[in-house]
Amino acid sequence: MTAYVLRRFVYAIFLLFIASLFVFYGLRVAPGDVTDYIRTVTSGQEFGETLREQLGLNEPLPAQYFVFVKNYLSGDPGNSIITGAPITEILKDSGVNTVKLGASAIIIVYLLAIPLGLFAAWRRNSPQDQTIRFLAVLGMGVPNFFLAILLIQLFAVKLGWFPVAGPGGLRHLVLPAVVLALESLAINIRLMRSSVLEEAAKDYMRTLRAKGLRQRRIMWAHALRNSLVPVVAFAGIVIPLILGYTLIVEVIFRFQGIGFQLVESIQNRDYALAQSLALLFTAVVIFSNFLADIGHQLLDPRVRERTVAR
Amino acid sequence: MATRPADVHTGGAALAASGAEGRLRDAFVLLWANKVALLGLVLTILFLLIGMAGIVILLHPGLHHLWEDQNLRAVLVTPGSEGHLLGTDNFGRDLLWRIVAATGLSALMAVGVTAFVIVVGLVMGSVAGFFGGRADTGITGLIDLTWGFPLLLVAVIFAGMVGKGLNAVVAAAAVILWAGFARIIRAQVKTLREREFVEAARMLGTPAWKILVRHMWPNVLGTVLVMASYYVAITIIVEAGFSFIGLGVQPPTPSLGGIIAEGRNFWSVSIWPSVIPGATIALIVLGLNSLGDGLRDIFDPRLRRF
Repeated sequence: MTAYVLRRFVYAIFLLFIASLFVFYGLRVAPGDVTDYIRTVTSGQEFGETLREQLGLNEPLPAQYFVFVKNYLSGDPGNSIITGAPITEILKDSGVNTVKLGASAIIIVYLLAIPLGLFAAWRRNSPQDQTIRFLAVLGMGVPNFFLAILLIQLFAVKLGWFPVAGPGGLRHLVLPAVVLALESLAINIRLMRSSVLEEAAKDYMRTLRAKGLRQRRIMWAHALRNSLVPVVAFAGIVIPLILGYTLIVEVIFRFQGIGFQLVESIQNRDYALAQSLALLFTAVVIFSNFLADIGHQLLDPRVRERTVAR
Repeated sequence: MATRPADVHTGGAALAASGAEGRLRDAFVLLWANKVALLGLVLTILFLLIGMAGIVILLHPGLHHLWEDQNLRAVLVTPGSEGHLLGTDNFGRDLLWRIVAATGLSALMAVGVTAFVIVVGLVMGSVAGFFGGRADTGITGLIDLTWGFPLLLVAVIFAGMVGKGLNAVVAAAAVILWAGFARIIRAQVKTLREREFVEAARMLGTPAWKILVRHMWPNVLGTVLVMASYYVAITIIVEAGFSFIGLGVQPPTPSLGGIIAEGRNFWSVSIWPSVIPGATIALIVLGLNSLGDGLRDIFDPRLRRF
C-alpha cells in the first residue's frame, strides 16, 4: 500500500510538471502580451518595449520558464501586472476561498447522496423513490448557472435569506455551495441507489439472510460498505466536475476564489497572474484526484491486489 | 440480473412477444417499450430539427435579420404578444429566432465535437485494446494524462491562449473527452479479443484491421450511441456555461448561455429572456440524457454508472 501511495505521488508530481509546461507555454504564445493591454491604457511603443524588458518578456522562452518555476517555488511569483497586488496574496486568499467552497460542495454531495440513495433503494418503486429519482434526473438536466440565477432571485432578492454575491462568512457560502453540489448530488444519488440494488441481489446476501441475520444488520453492516465502493470510485470523476464548475459558479456569485480570479485575469490578459492561478488550480485538481485514488484503494481491496499484481 | 429497472422487464416482455429479429429492430422495440427513453428520442429529434433551422438562419446572410434586427420600441416584450411568440430581449430582438439560431450553434458545435471525440476515442481505444504492448502503454499513458482534468479549466486556459470564443471550448472538449471514451472502448475490445468468433477469424487468417472493423466495431456500436448522446449533452452544457461567463461566443452572435447572461441584467423587468433559454438547455439535456439512459439499458447495461 505504501509503495502504491508513493508511486501515485510521484506520478502526481510528474503530472504537475507537464501541467506547468502546458500552462506556461500555453499562456506565453497567446496573441498579444500584457504590454499591449497596458499600452492602450497609457501609450507609446517605447513604453511597451521598456516594460517588456523589465518583465523579462524578451528572454528566451526556456529561460522564462525556469524563472517562472523558480519564483513560484520560492514563494514569490511577483505582482499582478494590472493591479500591482502581490500574486502570493491573491493565490492565498483565492485558494482558501475555493477550497472552502469546493469542500462544502463535496460535503453536501456525500452527506445527502448516500442516505438518499440508500433510502430510495430501500423503498424501491415507492412514491418517495420515484420523487427522488425524478428530482435527480431534473438535477442532471438543469444547467447549474441557470439554477444559480433562479436561486439568487428567490433566496437572495425576493426572500433576502442569503447575500446575492461576494465572499464572506457562512451565509455567503450557502448558495454557491448548493449550486455547485447539485449536479454531482443527482449523479451520486442515482449511483448509490443502483449500487445498493445491485449489491442486494448478490448471492452472499441470501446466505446472510439464511444464516438468520436481521435485515437491518445486513443492510448496515454488509450492503452499505460494498455498495459504497462504486460511489467512492466515482469520486475521481465527481471531484474534477465540481472543481471545474467553481469557475462558473464563482463568476456568477462574484466569489473571489481561484476560478473567479483566473477568468478575470484571462479577460485582462494578466498572464503572470493567470499562469500562477492556473498552476495552483491544476495542483488542487491533481492533489484531490490523488486523494480520491487513495480513498478508493483503501475501501476496495480488489483494486489494491490488482495494482500490486500488475 | 434482478436489479434491472422495471422498464427493461416490460421491454423484455415486448421483445419476446414481438419475436423480432435483427439487432436494430430489437433495439427499436425495446426503445418503444421504454416511455422515458422514447420521450428523450422525441426531444432529441426536435432539438436536431430546430438546430438545423438555426444553422440555416445563422449561415444564410439573407436571414440574419430574423435574429439581428433591433426594435427599441418593443424591448422586453412578454411572450405571446405583438407577433413575438417568445417575446423580445433588451434590444427588442425576437427571442424565438435568437433561441433557434443559438440552438443551431449549439447543435453544430456539439455534434462536431462529439463526432471527433468518438472517432479518436474509437481508434485509440481499439488500437490499445487490440494490439496491447507498447501501443497500449503509450495510449493508456496519454489517457491517464488527460484523465481527471476539468473540461472547463482547460477551456479557460485555452481561452487565454487563442483568445475568447468558441474555438477555446471546442478545442478543450476535443482534448479532454476522447480519453474517457477511449478507456471504455479499450476495455471492451480487450474482452472481445478473447471471444471465440475473434479467435475463429484470426485462425482463418483475417488481417487485424479487418477483425477490428468488421467483427469488433459492430459489437461496440451500442456503446458508441450511448456515449455519443452523453457527450453531446456535456458539450452543450459546458459551452453554455462558458459563453455565460463571457469567454465563449461573443455577442451579438446568439448563444444559449450568452442570452441567459444578457437577460439576467433585466430580470426585474422581464424574467423571460433568461428563463426561456435556460429551460431550452434543460429540455435538450434532459432529452439527450434520457435517450442515452434508454439506449444503455438496451445495448449495454454494464455501462450503467448511475
